[in-house]
Order: sequence, then structure tokens, then C-alpha cells
Amino acid sequence: MDRRVEHPFAQNRRQFFGRTATGIGTAALAALLQQDSSAAAVPSINGGGPASQDLGVMGSTHFSGKAKRVIYLFMSGAPSQIDLLDPKPKMKAMFDKDLPDSIRQGQRLTTMTSGQKRFPIAPSIYKFQKRGECGTEISELFPHIGSIADDLAVVRTVHTEAINHDPAITYIQTGAQQPGRPSMGAWLSYGLGRSNQNLPGFVVLHSTWSAKRDAQALYTRLWGAGFLPSRHQGVALRSAGDPVLYLSNPAGVSAATRRQTLDALAKLNQRQFQAVGDPEINARIAQYEMAYRMQTSVPELTDLSTEPKHILDLYGPDVKKPGTFAANCLLARRLAERNVRFVQVFIRGWDQHGSLPRDITMMARDVDQGAAALVKDLKQRGMLDDTLVIWGGEFGRTIYCQGKLTAGNYGRDHHPRCFSVWMAGGGIKPGIVYGKSDDFCYNIVENPVHIHDLNASVLHCLGIDHERLTFRFQGRDFRLTDVHGKVIGDLLA
Amino acid sequence: MNTQARCLSLGLLFVLAVSVQAHAEDRIDYNRDIRPILSDNCYKCHGPDGNQRQADLRLDVASIVGHRLESGGTLIKAQAASESVLFERVSSKDPDELMPPRDSGNSLTAREIVLLKRWIDQGAEWKGHWAFQTPVQPVVPGVERKGWQANPIDAFVLARLQQKKLEPSPEATRETLIRRVSYDLTGLPPSLDEIDHFLADQKPGAYARVVDRLLKSSRYGEHMSRFWLDAARYGDTHGLHLDNERSIWPYRDWVIKAFNANMPFDQFTVEQLAGDLLPNPSLSQLVATGFNRCNVTTSEGGAIADEYRFKYGVDRVETTSTVWLGLTMGCVVCHEHKFDPIPLEEFYKFLAYFNSLTEKAMDGNALLPPPTLKVPSIEQEKELAQLRTAIGRTRSTIDKLLEAVAYKDPGQQKEVKSAKARQVVWIDDTPPAGAKVMASGDGGTRWAWVGGSDHPVHSGKLSSYRKSAGLGQHFFTGAKNGLTVAAGDTLFAWVHLDIVDPPQQIMLQFNDGTWEHRAYWGKDRIPWGRANTVSRRRRGDLPARGEWVRLEVPVEQVGLKPGAVINGWAFTQFGGAVHWDTAGIVTTNGLGQRRWESLAAWTSSVAKSSAGIPKDVATAARTASDKRSAQQAQLLRRHFLVHACRQTTRTFAPRLKSLAAAEARVVAINKALPSTLVMRDMPKPRQTYVLKRGQYDMPDKTRPVQPDVPAMLPRPRGDAPPNRLGLARWLVQPDHPLTSRVTVNRIWQQYFGTGLVRTAEDFGSQGEWPSHPRLIDWLATEFIRSGWDVKALHRLIVSSATYRQSSAFRAQGQEADPENRLLWRGPRYRLDAEMLRDGALAIGGLLVERLGGKSVRPYQPDGLWRAVGYSGSNTVKFVQDHGQALYRRSMYTFWKRTAAPPTMLTFDAPSRESCVVRRARTNTPLQALLLLNDVQFVESARGMAQRILSEPGSDKHRLVRGFRMVTARRPRPAELRILAETLALHRREYRDNPEAATRLLAVGEAKISKGVDAGELAAWTVLSNLLLNLDEAISKS
Repeated sequence: MDRRVEHPFAQNRRQFFGRTATGIGTAALAALLQQDSSAAAVPSINGGGPASQDLGVMGSTHFSGKAKRVIYLFMSGAPSQIDLLDPKPKMKAMFDKDLPDSIRQGQRLTTMTSGQKRFPIAPSIYKFQKRGECGTEISELFPHIGSIADDLAVVRTVHTEAINHDPAITYIQTGAQQPGRPSMGAWLSYGLGRSNQNLPGFVVLHSTWSAKRDAQALYTRLWGAGFLPSRHQGVALRSAGDPVLYLSNPAGVSAATRRQTLDALAKLNQRQFQAVGDPEINARIAQYEMAYRMQTSVPELTDLSTEPKHILDLYGPDVKKPGTFAANCLLARRLAERNVRFVQVFIRGWDQHGSLPRDITMMARDVDQGAAALVKDLKQRGMLDDTLVIWGGEFGRTIYCQGKLTAGNYGRDHHPRCFSVWMAGGGIKPGIVYGKSDDFCYNIVENPVHIHDLNASVLHCLGIDHERLTFRFQGRDFRLTDVHGKVIGDLLA
Repeated sequence: MNTQARCLSLGLLFVLAVSVQAHAEDRIDYNRDIRPILSDNCYKCHGPDGNQRQADLRLDVASIVGHRLESGGTLIKAQAASESVLFERVSSKDPDELMPPRDSGNSLTAREIVLLKRWIDQGAEWKGHWAFQTPVQPVVPGVERKGWQANPIDAFVLARLQQKKLEPSPEATRETLIRRVSYDLTGLPPSLDEIDHFLADQKPGAYARVVDRLLKSSRYGEHMSRFWLDAARYGDTHGLHLDNERSIWPYRDWVIKAFNANMPFDQFTVEQLAGDLLPNPSLSQLVATGFNRCNVTTSEGGAIADEYRFKYGVDRVETTSTVWLGLTMGCVVCHEHKFDPIPLEEFYKFLAYFNSLTEKAMDGNALLPPPTLKVPSIEQEKELAQLRTAIGRTRSTIDKLLEAVAYKDPGQQKEVKSAKARQVVWIDDTPPAGAKVMASGDGGTRWAWVGGSDHPVHSGKLSSYRKSAGLGQHFFTGAKNGLTVAAGDTLFAWVHLDIVDPPQQIMLQFNDGTWEHRAYWGKDRIPWGRANTVSRRRRGDLPARGEWVRLEVPVEQVGLKPGAVINGWAFTQFGGAVHWDTAGIVTTNGLGQRRWESLAAWTSSVAKSSAGIPKDVATAARTASDKRSAQQAQLLRRHFLVHACRQTTRTFAPRLKSLAAAEARVVAINKALPSTLVMRDMPKPRQTYVLKRGQYDMPDKTRPVQPDVPAMLPRPRGDAPPNRLGLARWLVQPDHPLTSRVTVNRIWQQYFGTGLVRTAEDFGSQGEWPSHPRLIDWLATEFIRSGWDVKALHRLIVSSATYRQSSAFRAQGQEADPENRLLWRGPRYRLDAEMLRDGALAIGGLLVERLGGKSVRPYQPDGLWRAVGYSGSNTVKFVQDHGQALYRRSMYTFWKRTAAPPTMLTFDAPSRESCVVRRARTNTPLQALLLLNDVQFVESARGMAQRILSEPGSDKHRLVRGFRMVTARRPRPAELRILAETLALHRREYRDNPEAATRLLAVGEAKISKGVDAGELAAWTVLSNLLLNLDEAISKS
């Protein structure tokens, strides 16, 4: 029997194997894997089933969103909003006074301070200044971030129920406190697919930090795919060793040798396809070709030597040390330029139960210039309009002191009732402060933003209705915002 | 309703009805066709959840048919869709009338509306959800296809194929078959010898013999276990926050052993869920309960215990219900189930089964958060068995030697002295003479001597016993003939810890005028003396439970100087139940040792004082000589000749020495036993309440609940206790509709990639309708009928013609059923993560086939743990193992749950943080990079190249051999040509560039065989790397 008659896929195969001297032609590959309507070829970097195009399940967004991509600067350990973004001048007069019961209202505390006899108020020792035309008050710890005040929406009333790091960070990243759910980046990859054929759609960057070494842990679940197919999980881009795991050829295998292997592999797989007709074989050939291309595209991406001096200067001296927050911010911009949908930069070291002034100064110095530079750099390239930048942690910190309170030193315990996050670009209203906390930065006075609301708003900026991006698992339609979340319209431009 | 609109819609429906009719091959089935429509679109507001129910209308019950509405009209009138309000509302053109309402986000497709219409018109036959009805074994369809069918599975499959006018595929080639079934039953590829043997076996039953061989292999149990470990969310760390190491791998060993021993699935179920509640549980049954200690736990500073105890309970409910019931009970935490009839209260009843555990919510970041248990590993168990055999053999040698001894009682007695260290038993059955006996603390004021069949006794007639809630002890001072200590002496006592209720600490104290000589084992709970000094010396962990163990204390360790005279001794414990026996000293002080010549004299001495003499011997000695049985007389003679008689002991000494060595080794192994996490319930169950909105701190005290199973399922048998044991037995009672179906479906999924019910984790009303409803029921009932015989089920499936089909795609099948749900071809898909790595190791000749044991740390890129880990965690730094540990099967790889092994995660293994019964199967460039570049795979390729080169022959011969190693088949000529061309290129490359060859060959730690040309080996290594990356090599086909 004529095999071409037997296998309807033979047509595709012919088209596919219009080979060039250097292997399989990219055009043929893209044709096989179908093209994005935006004309950029989008064979999936992470593959898929037999029909391996990667537009995501949504195909297109639910409505037109301003943001095409997100850069999430995650401050693990929970920075003190009181010392950075939410000034409380009245507290000066209340130094070492007890937090009134009327404010605490018997709310639960962590078991680290629930045994304390007193809850003395520790005012911030840092000055706040009105910055930019909008006049948003920002701490002196953030001189550079202050300089972009007119681009920021500072949200001072984010809140959560989780009171410990592990559940809280899992909650804000996946919408549930217990492990098992997909992370935000995985949801985006699942919903919208990816728009760069040679890079992953969800990239994670880990930063070095200056404050004390015993920082809170991170977990792969924070960029994991949960119950979504694992190709949606975040890919960590490492600053030491292979930037992407297993990217380099083994020692003693040259690029030419590898090309020979891949050519022979493609030919043999092609024959196998001819014999058994499983379309998955074609997808496999495509993935091997993409792996080969990643071996070029990833080093090109991580090579910062092509950046001009004025750009490097913008990000500050740290940018030259691989793995610093500043270097990662610059990498994040380069990823954004390459249309990577979701970049998450983690930095640890914000869990300041004691000696807060010493550690917060170091941490602020770690992040301030890089974060501000990222926003400025995106803006000068005209990319801030469609790139959403988010800065924040998993909860806030208490106004009352943990441990010994002195005029110059204090510590703060976990505080889930209100904390601050800033956002910029990608459809967010610039130069505003949203929400108001009470004088003690303890309770919310107006405009609360639950972390589900925050996530719903982020999805909204991307053109996604958070209630409609769902995945059926164990008989239930799951989503990032669980059964909650409302878009905060006032935050949107 | 607007008449015109109705006409229009009916007109449209008519057209659709015709087209649906054309495709329909049989009657509308409520469960298959109608329930999913109602469940997806209507149950949210008209389903089981009473709080959300609108208009007091419920559509998930039988009474919908014929239900008279308050507003008038009948909801569903059988055989008359046009007179049924339900149909009227869903097909309405009036937006105010239309159901579901537009703002609900749901809507019915035209096809669904037609299905509803046809179902009503056909008589609206309502059925309970199929999976909740006890299956009745269906009749095997009487279809026939000559020479194709192998067993009843095929009849069910064939019947469905014939309905769709599809042909099954012919049997796969023998090469394909042996590779497929070897991977499926053992997770490993067949060796070339195994392939050749099968190809050469032309006698009938060749395939069945292969299957039998594979089922008997220990690799079978390992392979089956790793599916189960995904479900059990097994990991080697706690999983939350610090993510420190946890020791529960003996549970993994248990699973492997259970599969290899073909433990029936009902027993497998009961032991894992409730082994601790069985009467007189064995060690193994206790270890099995590790299943529900595998959940993630925390000890994060500041975390609230009640909150986590509740979270752990929810995890256990979720896992148990997913694995056995195929139900998702987790969402009932906060609200009534939207789709399945499980009310809120019933969730908490189910939770109550798991709410009385003794475990602490905070795991303390400890390796062994209690309750735990010491247990031999598979290897230790094997050695113990060998030792027992050796001991038995030595004993029978002694017996034979005894037979040869001609002993005649000389009737006189002579005493011989020995300067060797000897053992003096001081306390046995009674305290020494003159002792002033006391007891204090918890557990009574008496020194209780116990014996008989209820208590273990080590020697003599009695042992002493104490059960104590806290600190408790019995002791004496003022013994008349004290023990005089010499340098180098060792004090000893035998102890037996209760298997279920062990103490936290045990202590021996010695009085030579003061009590400041103490040695203890286990935790440091007893505060006397100063830690780490002679007044409180730790001698090690608690000994093994449930057996007699000899405790030893060198006198120097507790500061007893030569010449000191011990006049008092205390047996002290913290908690638990403890038996003590046979205590004394091994001393060199020269009291002399009596050697006997006369049996009669010896016997009467033993009758007076049986210290140190085995219980039965002592009893025989005390029995008057005319009342002694022949057996007792024999026993006495025997003990005398072997141990006491001056003339004969020399003969037995070497045997006794090897016996003692073996017994000492048994003791040493028992001392080095690993521990594992187990379950235990509190003596008095904790009261469970319904929690308001699922908040751990908001128990509704007006709604206390007792453990119980969901009411929609069959009731537990009358004698089932209201605890986990009752739950476990209920799960495997024969009328249970879910356990057997869910289990056979999961196993089916292992073979075909997709279960008969695709949603292996959900058999509820949101789950998918089975592709072969009658087949799943037949398999489920057959499984129970076979006595839950797991191997038989595997054999049944792999023996079917369905499984043995060729997996080649055919246009006809591909068009009608692209997903192969009807099974018109054999399975073909990418191998799982573990099979890929293990397969490469096996092909590279590197695989270490060692069964069970602690987890190992093979190669892993640097910095993965450091990047995420808490600096204070004991798993923040990855330290790679070396040697054999690099080449164990993947199921033994150390599983850090917050940064799981990348080789596994890249190929869709779950993170093991929660229960997963179905893996995704993706195809990504990161996988390609891993298979091409990871050290483990490059090293395997080199191993493979070495094996290829180790046999003489032409290039062609060697290429064929290499190709067969990965695919089992011979390459086609064109394939061979491509390989030969590529090999030539590689050869040239490495001949011109010997330095590159050296660098390539240095990858990995395995030794390279000597005398191989480096360039040649490098070229073949790259070629093997290519072969290992063939789609055919990484696919099951």
C-alpha cells in the first residue's frame, strides 16, 4: 500500500522536510506549527500535543488589554510598608506607647509575638518626602523609586489572610495557601501561550541579596504549573552555570558535532514517522530544533556586554555583577524586549523581625536603583505602556515592635491586614496612591485590595477576565483567584 | 413563550435533530449524555448545594421526571419534550425565560438541547450516577473476530469498535511487544538476550512466559510503586517552609515489597489506611500507615498549630478520597458540593476519621516527627533472615554433635576455676538477697514480676514490667552480696519495649553508695544528674521495639571504679510500657567459674538458682526427677553438655562462638535500624465539629460530628468500627461501587496512557463518561472476584489482544478516533521520566539493581537547592553522592519537595506536594536539552558505546546491536545507512581532535574500560547519544 495514502500526514511531512543545508528550514517549521496572527512565527518553545501551536487556550484575549507582558519584582520575606511606602507621621508621638486594643481588636498574631507582654509602637525612623508632580510620599530609603513617583500607582491597602511566609507567598502566587495550584505565570502561559519562538514564555530570575543570610525560602511551586501541563511552569534563568538547565553541549561535543547528531536524528525520526504515522514525532523533531536554537538565543539574551554605558549606568554599579537585583532588572528588560510574557524577579531578605534599620537599608539599596531604572528604561523605549511592572511582597509588617525597642533600633512582625505594593505601566493609572490605612498602619480605612483583587486586576490589564481563565481539575473549574477577586477599576488608566 | 420564537427555535432544532440522529447509534443514556449537561450547566443553582439552590428546584435527583412545578406544568414529562417545562426553558428565545440565565456564564449548545429533547421523548429514563451504583458483572459481548481475541477485554473493545465500524490493529511485532511489555511491567527495557530468547521461542505461550518472568522480577514492584508514590505524595522532605529532610523511605520499601509479594489490594488498602488499628499489628502493618504521614507539614516560626492540624486533615481526606473513591471531597471544606451529593457535614464526618492522630501539628523540622517506628530496611531484613538461617544451621550442627556425645554421669562434682571474663546474672525472677525493693513515680508502687503467656520473658520464669505515663521506676538498695566491679567490666540488662506504646526514654542507675551512676537510651527527659557525665550518660537511641534487646554499660562510662561494690540498681523509664529481665555484670573479678561434671549435681544446682538459665531449662530442673518428661530430661542433658559440662563444652565452644557472633550481628543490625513515620490515634478520639466557612478557628459547637462515610454510598458493614479501620474495610467491601473501578482505571491508564475514565481522579458527576462503561465494570468486578489480585489484573491486561495491537497509525482510525479512546491501535506515547532515566542507565550498563533503601542523590546541576532554600534548612546544600548511588533507579532519588529533581520535573513528574493520580505528558525543548546534555544521559551513552565496542564485529554489526539496544528491532537499511554516515563524521571529528575526545570521555564518574581507543569511544558515545534520543527510544510503541 502506498504509505502516502495510508497516512494523511504525509503532506505535512513533505512540507516539513523541505530542508536547508543547516537543518530544517525555519519557515517550514513555522508552517507546520502554524503561525500567530501577529505574523511572528510562534512554534511553541515548550511544545504541546500533536497540534503544537502555542496561542494558549484562550486563542486571543477576552478583551483588549493594555499590557502585553508582566515583570513582577517579588520582595520575598515581606518588606515593611511603614518604612518604605506608607508614611505614619502621627506615630512619632507614640513612640514606645502601647498599641491600643481598639486597633488590634484581638486579631490573631503569629506565635512569635503572641507571647509578648507589650506591643510598643515603633515609629519609622525614616523620612518621607513628597515626590514628583503627583506628590506621592515615599521614604528616603527609596530615592530612585521616588524619582519615578509619577509613573507609579502605590496601593497601600493590600491584604491577605495568611500570616506566615510559606502559606502567604504560596497564596499570592497561586491563589491558595496549600501547595498544588498553578502560579500566576503558569496561568498566563496556559491562557495566552507564548510569543517568542526561541525563549520560554515564563522566566524566573533569582537575585542575590545583602541583608542577613538566613532569608526565607522560596519554593519551585511559586513558579510551578500545579495541575496545568508542566510545560507552563516557569523556567529559571540562572546567573551561574548553564543559564537554562542543560543548555550547553557536553564537554567535547562541538556545535558542528551536535548539528550532525540533530540532522541524523531528524532524518531517522522522519523515517519513523513514515512507518508509524504518529504526528507527535513531528512535534518532537520541532522541539529538538528549538532546543538547538535556544543554545544560541539564550546566551545572546544573557550577554549584557552589548548594552551601552549609559544604560548600565542607569541600573547602577551592581548591574555588572551577575545575579544581583540590578542585573536581573536589566535582564528582565531584555526579556520583555523579546516578548517574554511573564518575568518574575525574586529577591529574598526582607523578613526583618529584628535589627530592621540595618537590614532594610541594605535591602533598599539592593532594589532601589535597579527597579527604578527598569521603569525608566522601559519608558524611554516606549515599552512601559504595554509592560506591567509590579513591586511587592507576601504581606506587611507590624507597627509594634518585635523584641527590644530603642530610639534607633526595632524589629517588626508579620502583618497581613494591610501592606503596600506599587505598580507601573501596562494599563495602570500613573501617579496615584490607592487605598488608605489607619494611623497605625494596622487596619484599612478605605479601599481594601485583597490579594485576589490584585491578581484579578493584573489579569485584567492583560485582557483576561479572571473568572473565565479556568482549568477543570478534579471536577472543578479552578482559576487563579479561586472563587474570589474583583478588578479594582480605579487602579486602571 | 413567544410563539414565533418557539417556532423558529423548533425549526432549527429539527435540522439539528436530524443531524444528531444521523450520528447516534443507540438510545440516549441519561448518565452518558444528559447528566453532564445538567451538571455543567444547572447544578450550581439547582444541584446538591442547598445554600445555593434557586427556586427550591433540584435537578440532580430522580424526581425531576414527573415533578409538578408550583407555577404549574411538569418539569419533565416522559415522552413529551414539548410539554416539559425544562425543555421549554432551555430552548426559549425569550431572554427572561431562558435557562441557564445569560449572566450565569453558562449556555447550552444546540446539540445539547437536542439531546435533552430526545432523551425526554424516549421516555426520560433517569439513572443514579453510574459510578455510585455497585457494579454488576456485565455479560461478555458475543462478538467475534477470528484469531484476534485473547481474553474478555477484547470482546468489550471489539464490540465498541464494531459499533464505530472500526477495525482493530494486528498484533505488534515481537520486538515491539517485548519492549512494550518490559517497560510496562518493570519500567525497564528488555536486554538483548531477553529479546533474542523471545524471538527464538517458537513454542506456544512464549509471550505468556515473558509476562510471567517480568511479573516475578523485583523490578516489577519498584515500577508499580512509583505510580503509587505519586498518589501517596511521597517525598524525602517535609515540603513546607524549611523543607528539612524526613525519614519515611521504609514506607516506600513497604510499598515495593507489597507489590512484589502481590499483596491483595484490599489488604494493601487496609494496612495503609489503618494498619495500626488492626489487632496485634505487625511491624510491617504499622510501617504501611506511612501512607497518610506523607503529606506536607510545617514548623514555620509563628505558625498556628490548630490551623495546620486542620490542613493536614483536609489533605488526608483529599488524598484518600481521590485515591480510593475518585472523588474530590476537598471542595466541601467551605461549602456544600456543587456537583456531587456530599453535604458539608459529611465532609467533616470523613475528616473525623483523621482527626484523632497523636502527631503534633508542628513537625519540629525533625527527621522523625513522632509517632515513628524502627524497622529493618529490605537489605537488613534480608541479612537478618540469612543470620537466622545461619543460627538455625549452627544449632542443628550442635544437635548432631550432641547425638555423638556418649555421656555418663560420674556422680561426683569437681570445681574448676577460670580467669576469663564471665557473666554473672544478678537479677532474674527476683531481686538479689537482702535487697530493699521500692518503686516510685508513675506506674504503681510495686515492682511487678510478670510471666505466663501474656508477657514476654527473657530468662527464668518472670520478667519485671512497668507501664508509665511519665517518669516511673522500680529499684532496690542494700543487696547482701553486692557486685564487685573490676576494670573493663560491663553491666547489662535485657529490655523489651512495647511495640505500640514504647517509652520516650529508659535508664539504668547503679548504687555503690550513691546513685550518681546513670546510663540512658532515647530522649533526655529524666533530669537527674548532669548531662554527658557519669551521672547521666547517653548510651544511644531507644532499642528496637517488640523484642528482647541486651543493654550494656561499660562500668567506666558511669564512673564505677574497680573495687566498687554495687548494692542497688534502678530500672527507670519515661512513659510507655517496658519489660526488664536478666541483669548483671560481665566481670573478670576472680570469683571463679564453676565447671560441672555431673548432670545430676548441675540439675539440682539449677533447680535452686536458675539465674541466667533459659526459662524452659530452669522449669525442667525444678520439676522433680520422677515427674520430668522425656523431653525435659533431654533438654537438661542437652543444656548441660553444651554449656556446663567440663568434658564436652570444648566441642561446642566454636559453634557457640559462631552462634554468639551471629546473634551479636542480629543485635547490631537491630541497633542500626532506620525509623519511619507511622500513624497512631489518641486513646480518646478528638471531637470533630463542622467548621464555619471552613475556618479552623470557627468550630460550630452545635454541630459535633462522628466519623462516617458519605451517605450516598453503601453503608459500612454492621461490625465496622467508627474509625480508620472501619473506613478502610468499607472501601474494600464487595458492594463498594468506587474502589475497584477507580483502581482498575488507574492501572488501565498505566498501559494505554488514558484511563477508561479519562478523569482518573474524578468519578463524580463532573468526571468523564467512560469510553467502555461495560469493560470498566467487568474489570472492576473481576478484580474483586479474583480476591483483589493485582498481578492477575496486570496479566489480564497485557495478555489482551487489545494491548498487543500494533501502535501504527491508520488513516481510518485516526479520522474516526484521533485520541484512540476506542483502542483501534496499541499505545504509543513518550515514556515517563523514571523510565527514560532508568532505561538509559540500563542500556548503558550502569543501572544498579539494588532493592529498596534510603534515598540517594545522583547528579544534579549546581545551585538548585541553594537558589530557593532557607539557609537554616538541612537540605539547602546539595551534596552529590558517588559510586553506586549515582546509578540507582530514579524512584530512589532523594525528593526535595520545594525543589524536586529536575530530571523528573522536566518530564512531567508531579512535585509530590499533593496527591496526583494522572500525569500530564508534554513535549518540550527543555526535554531535548536534558536528554542530549545531562551528565547522566551522556554517561549512559558512553556506557552504551563501551558495551557496543566490547563485542568484536564490523561497524554494521555494531550499529545493529546499538540500534537494537534502544528499540529492540533491527534498523532498516536506510536507517543503517544514516547511522553509518553519521558515525563516519564523528570518527573524523574525534580523530582530528583527540583533545575533544578526552574531554567528552571525562563526563561522569563511571570508570572507562581500559584499552579502548579514545577517539573511537568518543565517536560511538556521540552516536549512542543520538540513538538514545530517537523518538522511538523515548517512546513506548
